Amino acid sequence: MDAARQALRPAASGGPDTPTVECASGGELAVRPVAARRRILPVVEVLALGLALILPLVLQDYLTVFATRVVILALFALSFDLVWGYAGIMSFGQALFFGSAGYGVALLARDLDVTSILLVLPAGALIGLASSLLLGGFLLLGRHPSSVIFVSLGTLTGSYAADRLARGWYYLGGQNGIPSIPSMTLGSYEFEEGAVFYYLALGILIVAYLLCRVLVRSQFGLALAGLRENEQRIAFFGYKVQHLKAIVFAVGGTIAGLAGSLYAFHEGFVWPNMLGVVFSTQVVLYALFGGSGTLIGAVVGAAIIEGVSFWLSDNYRDIWPIILGLLLLLVILFRPLGLISFVLGERERVGRFGRPPKRTS
Amino acid sequence: MANVFVASFEILSFGAIIVLVVLGLGIIASMMGIFNFAQGEFVLLGAYVTYLAYSHGLPVWSGMVAAPFLVGALGFVLEALIIRRFYAAPIVAMLGTYALGLIIRECVRGLIGGLYISVPEPIGGSIDFGAVHISAWRFTIVVVTAVVMAGCYLLLSRTSFGLRVRATLENPALARASGISTPTIYGAAFAFGAALAGLAGALIVPVFSLFADLGIRFLIQGFVAVMVGGVGSFIGPVAGAGVIGTLSAALPWVMAPVVADVLVFVLAIAFIKFRPQGLISGKGV
Amino acid sequence: MERTHQTRRRFLSHFAFASGAIATGLGGWVIRPDWANATEAPIKVGIATDLTGPIGYAGNADANVAKMVIKEINGGGGLLGRPIELYIEDTASNESVAVGNVRKLIQRDKVDMVLGGITSSMRNAIKDPIVARGKTLYIYPQLYEGKECTPYLFCTGPTPAQQCDEFIPWLIKNGGKRFALPSANYVWPHLLNEYARKVIEASGGEVVFEEYYPLDQVDFSATVNRIMTNKVEVVFNTVIPPGVGPFFKQLYEAGFQKNGGRLSCVYYDENTLNINQANEIEGLASCLDYFKVLTKDDPVSAKIQAAYDKDFPGNFLFAAGSAATGTYRGLKLWEAAVKEAGKVDRESVAAALDHAKITEGPGGSAEMVPGKRHCKMKMYTAVAKGGNYEIVGRSDGLVDPKEC
Repeated sequence: MDAARQALRPAASGGPDTPTVECASGGELAVRPVAARRRILPVVEVLALGLALILPLVLQDYLTVFATRVVILALFALSFDLVWGYAGIMSFGQALFFGSAGYGVALLARDLDVTSILLVLPAGALIGLASSLLLGGFLLLGRHPSSVIFVSLGTLTGSYAADRLARGWYYLGGQNGIPSIPSMTLGSYEFEEGAVFYYLALGILIVAYLLCRVLVRSQFGLALAGLRENEQRIAFFGYKVQHLKAIVFAVGGTIAGLAGSLYAFHEGFVWPNMLGVVFSTQVVLYALFGGSGTLIGAVVGAAIIEGVSFWLSDNYRDIWPIILGLLLLLVILFRPLGLISFVLGERERVGRFGRPPKRTS
Repeated sequence: MANVFVASFEILSFGAIIVLVVLGLGIIASMMGIFNFAQGEFVLLGAYVTYLAYSHGLPVWSGMVAAPFLVGALGFVLEALIIRRFYAAPIVAMLGTYALGLIIRECVRGLIGGLYISVPEPIGGSIDFGAVHISAWRFTIVVVTAVVMAGCYLLLSRTSFGLRVRATLENPALARASGISTPTIYGAAFAFGAALAGLAGALIVPVFSLFADLGIRFLIQGFVAVMVGGVGSFIGPVAGAGVIGTLSAALPWVMAPVVADVLVFVLAIAFIKFRPQGLISGKGV
Repeated sequence: MERTHQTRRRFLSHFAFASGAIATGLGGWVIRPDWANATEAPIKVGIATDLTGPIGYAGNADANVAKMVIKEINGGGGLLGRPIELYIEDTASNESVAVGNVRKLIQRDKVDMVLGGITSSMRNAIKDPIVARGKTLYIYPQLYEGKECTPYLFCTGPTPAQQCDEFIPWLIKNGGKRFALPSANYVWPHLLNEYARKVIEASGGEVVFEEYYPLDQVDFSATVNRIMTNKVEVVFNTVIPPGVGPFFKQLYEAGFQKNGGRLSCVYYDENTLNINQANEIEGLASCLDYFKVLTKDDPVSAKIQAAYDKDFPGNFLFAAGSAATGTYRGLKLWEAAVKEAGKVDRESVAAALDHAKITEGPGGSAEMVPGKRHCKMKMYTAVAKGGNYEIVGRSDGLVDPKEC
């Protein structure tokens, strides 16, 4: 039991961009054959799913509403994890796509009276896709490959500039944002906050999650895994690295846009902070805290941070941000792979591709 | 005519402020290759130390003199304890320093609340050239910035310590092989960058008032300035800060402030895209 | 001022606050009277205000006022013989946190009324969960831009009409005809300026320029230059912190007041006096429903101010720019309405609140305008002299809010 867990524990203190290797403690542990390693990830995922499904049944009304918000934020965190954990793009600007979609659907509802779920959710995803293609195309594509720092700073600046623009544009409500967004509708049915909205959001999260899983375990995902390990080598193999990155960035942006439109209708208002740097970094913290590169880590991170902050907001409001900062610093210093690394091994992060090799007897 | 003079002076003084803030950021980025997301909070700390001195009845200038030393000392300690571990991974450095900045910012917020606190300037009033008034304090800031920059330049180019710093800047491996203790240099560089930020904070607090989010404002501008100017040299970030500061101060004179705001960043990013090495490429002073 | 005593006082007030909070345990702040009668169901009042964040200086004052008023009502036997329970939630100067916490008041605590919100963006964020989804009465206590005509939403703070109708003629007489409107770029200044412009032009003045700046702009050299070169006589300012401090300082340094210019700012109260040095804002004029200096000649105001200062010494001042007076007014008007209605359900109370009156409020009496959900009140013009205010004008009676 203990030995198996030791075999799964990753090496200490490697940054997310340095590949780590399974370590065998002492010399007594031989390298175990692949098939005998337990696959923890599906267990974690199923557990999380089960918990998420029964939540509204055990929680009071207003906590279900809070849980819905967490689910939407988890979707948002997922978009970041895809981009960072699988393509190595430290995007400090995911909120740009989230917020743009939120504002877009808010304007649709306010000016054009469009609230049908069949229109607004695709609209949100589309806005996310368009904006991320634009920004990603500009930052990533070009004659010379852009440095990681430049892309980071570019996304940060994009988010900051969008925040400033929204804050200054009176049509968008300026600093006050757009309030009183009507409920999403399906025909004559209105999606009010509560269990129904929760399951809707959860359903969308599950679909998005599965899509991402398929994506990162596909042939495309294999190229991404190679990208993460050694970008130059993949380039030498003939893969267009920048195009790969741009595609992942666009997918991430689409998911963020979808999350943004859900958020706008759930909360009932949009405001410039949804576009800004603080919100962007928040989602970075979710993914980092939970564990980047595992998809479920982002979801778990979002749930934990939001849950703890909700609980603490009753008692320790003033010092919660300080505690959050400290926790984050500790995670970054000592557990850079996130909390999920307590359970998952490095092997599970990269994942298995294709069929397992046939074993002879 | 007087208008142009006043306008130029205002632009110059704002540019000087940005230069002070960015200088430390640039030094850290050039030397260690990491972007210090907590730099804004070092500025905040410098401002806070000044306010603390003032609120205990000491003269404001004493707080201003103490600020760079105190913040520099803190920077040195932080570097030894935490920052050092980030040198291998610049991205992790950004996140780690962000977390650090968050802690510092919220601590200060807890201490001063959500208020905007004013601190009087040591040299008040205005200097009059006939009908033209110039704020005496902002003039002082320009002078101090010039002195600091000159001092830095002399330190780097004329002293043996400066020589070691330049060597580490150009080729860390070779410097190490030559017997220069690079960790000490890095520690000194980080402390120096923090001290500069502290000085900037102390000098600008009479102008901008003390409030907890003072640092964030300068952070983004600072990063963009460093990238525009070029990482790796001493002059690069200064040039970048000058450009960004000038643009930010000058554009609102000719267009709506909101548009000017966003335009500066768009132009900066576009510039960096097409000239990734920035204005002044190459390492060294 | 008492700068050296600030830290000690602040620590004490924080400590008192924290121990009170810990004593009441998890679940926000709940304050119950000592004599909570087992047979009478309590009336639940919810306060949703910014206890943390940049607006915390105002939110805490409002929460304190609420505690004071509810304690006084409970001390007199409660309302309709029932004890009042006070539920306080923090909106944290952050709209998305606010919505979550307001939902707690509505769905978990099931309060009968919510009072709160300070900035307009906060009001806009929380009014939906309270009024539309939560079907609860909402009282908004802060001075604002007007045009809030949502049913069941009652406003007890000054409106543009109340702040401009008598103030601007006074400015023209005591400053000049050439006005500049430098403003922060968000809803309140836009709408306030729209109204102010009408009054300025109707009173024979002229708006030289009207400009909007990003909220965190701190360099106003271009603006100051424009003011000086265009020989502006009155600056009707709606720039807010953090920009307002540097702006006023730069204006002073350019010699605006020396040349006879008049500075005016309708949200300036005792809280904001500390943003600049006293000489920089000497002569600044403001128009609000209450100033602390009124305690010298108004016994009711003196009583309220003294009660507040006794219970809550410290940094959170009872002032009109931070909705503290509006909170007091709102709660007392609501109390009168409930007494008249005899019930606590939304319909009955709203109907009674529609025309509620109080004779004892900070600054004077107050009356709701029937059908408009806004409140008539006395307005005072004051000028900053040596770091304190001096009343230079009083309204003849209660001023009409002219809304909805």
